Amino acid sequence: MKRTAILWRLASALVAAGFIAAWQLVANLKLVSPVFLPGPDRAWAALVRGFSSGDLAGKLIGTLEHMAYGWFAASIAGIALGALIGSSRMMRAYVAPSLEFLRPLPVSAIIPVAIAMLGLTQGMALFVIAFGAIWPIMLATIHGFAAVEPRLYEVARSLQMSRTAIIAKIALPSALPDILAGMRLSLTVALILSVVCEILAGLDGLGHWVLLSARAFRSADLFAGVILLGATGYLTSIAMSLVEQRLLAWQTAAR
Amino acid sequence: MSVVARLIEARAARRQKPLIAFNAATLRLGGKTIIENLDLQVRPGEFLCIVGASGCGKTTALRLAAGLYRPTSGAVTFEGEEITEPRREVAIVFQDYGKALLPWRTAAGNISLALEASRVPARERGARIEALLRKVGLPGHADKYPTEMSGGMQQRLQIARCLAQEPTTLLMDEPFGALDAMTRQGLQDEVLSLTQASETTVIFVTHDLDEAIYLGDRVIGLLPHPGRIGIELDVDLPRPRDQLATREHPEFLRLRRQLFDFIKATEH
Ligand SMILES: Nc1ncnc2c1ncn2[C@@H]1O[C@H](COP(=O)(O)OP(=O)(O)OP(=O)(O)O)[C@@H](O)[C@H]1O
Ligand SMILES: [Mg+2]
Repeated sequence: MKRTAILWRLASALVAAGFIAAWQLVANLKLVSPVFLPGPDRAWAALVRGFSSGDLAGKLIGTLEHMAYGWFAASIAGIALGALIGSSRMMRAYVAPSLEFLRPLPVSAIIPVAIAMLGLTQGMALFVIAFGAIWPIMLATIHGFAAVEPRLYEVARSLQMSRTAIIAKIALPSALPDILAGMRLSLTVALILSVVCEILAGLDGLGHWVLLSARAFRSADLFAGVILLGATGYLTSIAMSLVEQRLLAWQTAAR
Repeated sequence: MSVVARLIEARAARRQKPLIAFNAATLRLGGKTIIENLDLQVRPGEFLCIVGASGCGKTTALRLAAGLYRPTSGAVTFEGEEITEPRREVAIVFQDYGKALLPWRTAAGNISLALEASRVPARERGARIEALLRKVGLPGHADKYPTEMSGGMQQRLQIARCLAQEPTTLLMDEPFGALDAMTRQGLQDEVLSLTQASETTVIFVTHDLDEAIYLGDRVIGLLPHPGRIGIELDVDLPRPRDQLATREHPEFLRLRRQLFDFIKATEH
């Protein structure tokens, strides 16, 4: 078990190295014009330069802030609404059709509405990011709350537990695996929408950096920004799975 | 009349008054009559067993006593008072222990749930949990999750959680139905020793006629469609019961025969 895990790690590292080598090769052979495609060497140099003398760190923090605020707002609202809807069959019956109507709406469709109402502001960005990120969390929470073992509610009733105790001790922990899975999906959504909002509204962040670099044909800087975005998505996802492992230790205890 | 005599009389009178009573209880679910005109009195401290063919309404009757269902007509009372909701002094041991335990809490945490509900202060819980685990034969398993335990251990854990409620009444729905014969016999004796000492009233549903006679003071056989009482047998076997001696007792064999014939007759 341990050994195969290490082998898998090794294999995926090799694939990544091969990918970078291929990229370097394509750049060196100038298969694509260097104006558009810098090699990994130039992209890396731009990355280092951006951090040491430019304000890439500031841009990264800007994006992380947008992402985090939107994602937190989406998590709190999504879990609260999801719990409310998921714990009552009546609510599910009444609200589900509206959700089915709203859910497939691409978030890009509400961006113009948000800009019209809130302007090109941080508030607009927060709204758009939270609106996009709320769906996976809310739908997962609804599912988690609806799927609580009915027998556990009977146990709670026979113990005469209060409504808040039932939510805190039975429903929430039971729905937690679903909720965390939804939050993980939303993390990616929040990152994408942060970049989109930064590009559209010119807000301080990696999106803005990427846009300016592209306009100025500084392809190495552009790639540095893109690499940083990829790393952000990857690392936040890893952090999330560490939290999941921690909170859901009971699931792995059995195996 | 001396004080003592009066006390004894008062106690005898209290014992005569039923703890749980079904008074012409009828339950309809989904347009079907599941239980019809059920009249049944359970005395305090009594061990009552309910048997009957599958689908005859044993579980439903137990859920009425638990307050998980309310009768469509008639009444089910606890100490003379109509049962409208489950109450903490009546604990329910479910057959599907796997579903009745919280998988995200350890054995100690599952017992703690009942203590928390009874507002036992946090600093007293540890000792209580330890004592309860010992009582049901699970010492040293406090930190195990239910999924790390065998079926018999999980059912023991559920019983421990029920005992943590400090119930006067235990309702058990085929609690050992999913366990192997050896585990089953061990748990039968444990339940007897746990409930006889504390004079806990028990309603015990089972498919197993031998189990019903072995455990019970009285055995009720239900008839199906709709559920009603078809046979009532008083079990006059000496206590404490013994897995070998009791099961070889002529009275045991006589009751077993009678119950067997009854069930046979209902099955067509
Ligand atoms: N919620 C319900 N709605 C409609 N019918 C029900 C409901 N619950 C139980 N029944 C029916 O009532 C009858 C009695 O069910 P019950 O579960 O009490 O039987 P049982 O004696 O416990 O059976 P078993 O030995 O299989 O556990 C069955 O015919 C069952 O289909
Ligand atoms: Mg049943």
